[in-house]
Formats: sequence, structure tokens, C-alpha cells
Amino acid sequence: MNDGGKESGQDNQNNNSTKKSSLPSPSSGGADDFSRSIAKIAVSQVCESAGFHGSRHSALDSLADILIQYIHDLSKASHFYANLSGRTACNVFDIIQGLKDLEAPRGFPGASDIHQCAVGSGVIKEITRFVDTYEENPFARPVPSFPIARQPKPITSFAQVGEATAGKHIPDWLPVFPDQHTYIHTPVWKERTSDPKADKIEQVRQRRKAEGSLLGLQQRLACNGAAMSAPAVDYIGKGKQVVGSNPFLAPPLPPGEKQVSEVVVPDEPAEGKRVSILETFAPAIEAAKQGSFIPNVSLKNRVLPSKRPTVHFKFGVDKNSIAMQVSSVAAGAKRDTWFLRDDEKDDKKRRAEMILKESMEKPDGLAQL
Amino acid sequence: MNSSGAGGDGKHDDDSALAEFLSSLMDYTPTIPDELVEHYLARSGFQCPDLRLTRLVAVAAQKFITDVASDALQHCKARLSAPVKDKSKQPKEKKLILTMDDLSKALRENGVNLKHQEYFADSPQLEMDPSTREEN
Repeated sequence: MNDGGKESGQDNQNNNSTKKSSLPSPSSGGADDFSRSIAKIAVSQVCESAGFHGSRHSALDSLADILIQYIHDLSKASHFYANLSGRTACNVFDIIQGLKDLEAPRGFPGASDIHQCAVGSGVIKEITRFVDTYEENPFARPVPSFPIARQPKPITSFAQVGEATAGKHIPDWLPVFPDQHTYIHTPVWKERTSDPKADKIEQVRQRRKAEGSLLGLQQRLACNGAAMSAPAVDYIGKGKQVVGSNPFLAPPLPPGEKQVSEVVVPDEPAEGKRVSILETFAPAIEAAKQGSFIPNVSLKNRVLPSKRPTVHFKFGVDKNSIAMQVSSVAAGAKRDTWFLRDDEKDDKKRRAEMILKESMEKPDGLAQL
Repeated sequence: MNSSGAGGDGKHDDDSALAEFLSSLMDYTPTIPDELVEHYLARSGFQCPDLRLTRLVAVAAQKFITDVASDALQHCKARLSAPVKDKSKQPKEKKLILTMDDLSKALRENGVNLKHQEYFADSPQLEMDPSTREEN
């Protein structure tokens, strides 16, 4: 016989569980769910034996609730009667009296009989009749004994671990101290071995190397400038020009072979100065690019030849742009000082200051940067 | 303790009847499992190590539920056999379903007031307990 096709005698548990999974369980009574579902199964079994083919969910829920409430009320009443008699453990008579209380609204035979022994009361008689008439219908599934008492995990003591206590005043049956890593904070990063002396030596070496290479470049330029002729190509604007052949790759001409045109002379000061400024800044720029700063640029000045080269180099464009960048950095360094970190700020500041100082030292008021 | 007119024999009979009944309880397995009953007994402060008393409580509860269910069944049958027109449908063949209506009627006789809401005025999008939202 099926309970509305939803449950059968043997599949109560399964169907109940599927019913539970399809419906979201009510928010209240999370710990009660297990006992409540068992009550629901028991109630559905009782309805089935009563003759119902099926049942509504809500009706089953209500009936399970009523069953739980009934058990609760009966036990409360019998406990009350036991307490009334000065006992804590309940008696069969306490239960009978509790039953009488619950059955009172409905009425049972022998309720008005006050002189009868409780054992012979109508309640017990009815129950006896019930037991005799109704066939046994045990619960469908085995129910584990609940609630399961969880064993608390015992804290290990000093003696259990075998550890020696921190001092004689601490007995060894007390719990152990927590591990050191739980309260001592150790740094996680790998400490770099910083050798300031070696770092400084390395830095100076790099600077010297840069200086040496620039020195060589300057000398070569000077030689080329002295030997070679005037600009073979025309220049446009701020030194933007295209050199047909690389003057550096051409073999050096003997002195006096080529005549240097004097047409460029009037522009020479400006050009020369500009070039000189650019050249002045070149080492600083190169140094900035390489990461090492050359504080004394005066060294370069001394190396510069007396005769200013009139050849315009291709990398003038780059120089210019870099100079613009540097100037922007110099201008912006003051603005963004508080955004940069301290070391960066100092570096850029230093660079900017040096560049500005150089430009001030030179007797030209070119603000062409 | 009882100054009853039945005298000593009645008492003995009653005692023996009770003893017999309690022993018979051990043979009868109630539908409501012992563990469930013990759980709720412990919750309300009922202390008794005797299993027979637990069985007694279980049997009493089962009796109560059975009474309620049988009353509801009678209501259901009465409703099914009531309709006048029998031409279109045969109500006798219909399944007997326990509804909230029958249940509330049966419970009212036992002193339990159970009222079920006919409908809900809220919108179905709201989070509601689905067991109370179904039918009826």
C-alpha cells in the first residue's frame, strides 16, 4: 500500500530523505531535523496502517509536530508528578497521571472515579486494548541512538608528550605550552647579504668605465671634427638632418685637404653652444641611463677641443628628445617629489640639480631645453 | 494508600494486570522508535532508566496518533461519500488523502486547535516555507 505514491512501508526513509532534499528545510531547528524527520516517518507509517492512501506534506508535518508535542507534554506532566511526590525519577504512576491529564479534554472512562487505583483506570485499560487489537507495526528503519555524545579531545600534558617543563614550578600534568611558531614571528624573506664596500667599489668601477668610454668618444669626435669638412648636408631647424654617409666610418682625411666652409660660422656660436650644451648633457644623460651618476662634468669640458665641431650628428635628435625628457623630469621632479620613494627622489633630484647647475655655469642663456 | 472499596484483591489484580501489561509491552514494538521517545523524554527532564516506561510512553503516543488518523479518515470518507451527483465521477475509487482540513477537524475533537491558512497574500517570489505553501 502506498501513501499517495510517495511512500511505501519500506521506502519511507528514502522518500522522506528525497522529500527533504527537494524542499529546503526550515530555518528553525537545525539540530532537530533528524528527530523531526524520524517522527515524520513514524507518523506516515501510522497513517498508512490507519488506512490512508496518501497524505499531504503539510498534514504530515503537522502530525509529526503534534506527536513530538504529545511526547513532550506527557513527559513534562509525569515529571511534574514525580517532583510533586518528592522524587526525581519517574514512576509508572506518574506516567498514568500524566496520561490522565492529557486525555482529560477528550474524556476517558473512569475519569470521575476517585477511589479507584490508578492502575485500573480507564487510561490503562484503553492502552491495553489498543495493544491487543492493533497489530504490530515496527519502525521501518533502524534508528541509531542519538544524540551522539562527542568525546572532547583531551589536551596533551607535559607528561604525555614527555617534554620537560619550563620550570620546576610547573607540574607535568598540566597541558603543554603551544608551539613556538604560534607566537614568535620570524621574518620570511631571505636576507640579502649586503656588502656596502663592495657595492661602492662596483659603482665606482662602473662610473669609471662610463667615463672612459665617453672620453674615447669625445676624442674621436674631436679628431673627426678637425679633419672632416663642414656639414655635407643641409640641416633643418633644430638639427634635424640626414647625413648621407656616416662621417665616423670615413677614413680620416689628412689635415688641410678639405676646406671647411665658413658659411656656417655665423650660426656656429649658437649651434656650437647648443651642441656643446647637448654634449655637456650627454655624459649626464648616458650616466643617468646607465644608472651611475657622474658628478664632475668639468672633466669633459677640459677634454673638449678648442675648435668646435660643425658636424651635426644623427643622435642629436635623440639627445634632444632625451634632453627634453630629462628637463621634464627635472621640472617634474620638484612636483612629484612626494610621490616618489626617498632614494628615487634623491637620485632624480640630484640629477636635475646637476643638470641645471651645468646649464647655469655655461655662459649661455639658452632655455632651449 | 487508596482507601478503596475493592480491597486487597482488587489491588492485587490491578497490580498483576499492570505487571502483565508492562511485560507484554516488551513484546510489542511500537511504531514510534524508542530512540526518538528517549530523546524527547530526556529533553523534558523525564528520568527513567526503565525501558518499559519508555515503551509505555511510545505506545500512548501511538495510540493518540492512531485515534487522530482514524478520525481524519472518517472525515475523509464522509466527504467522499457525500456528493449527490455520482454520474461524472466515482468518488469511492478516489484515493484517501490526508488533508489539512480533515486533520484539523479530527484534532479539534482531541483538544488541539490546528488552523491552516487557505492562501497567502504575499508574492511567490518571497522566501517562504514551502511545506506550508503547497496545497489546500
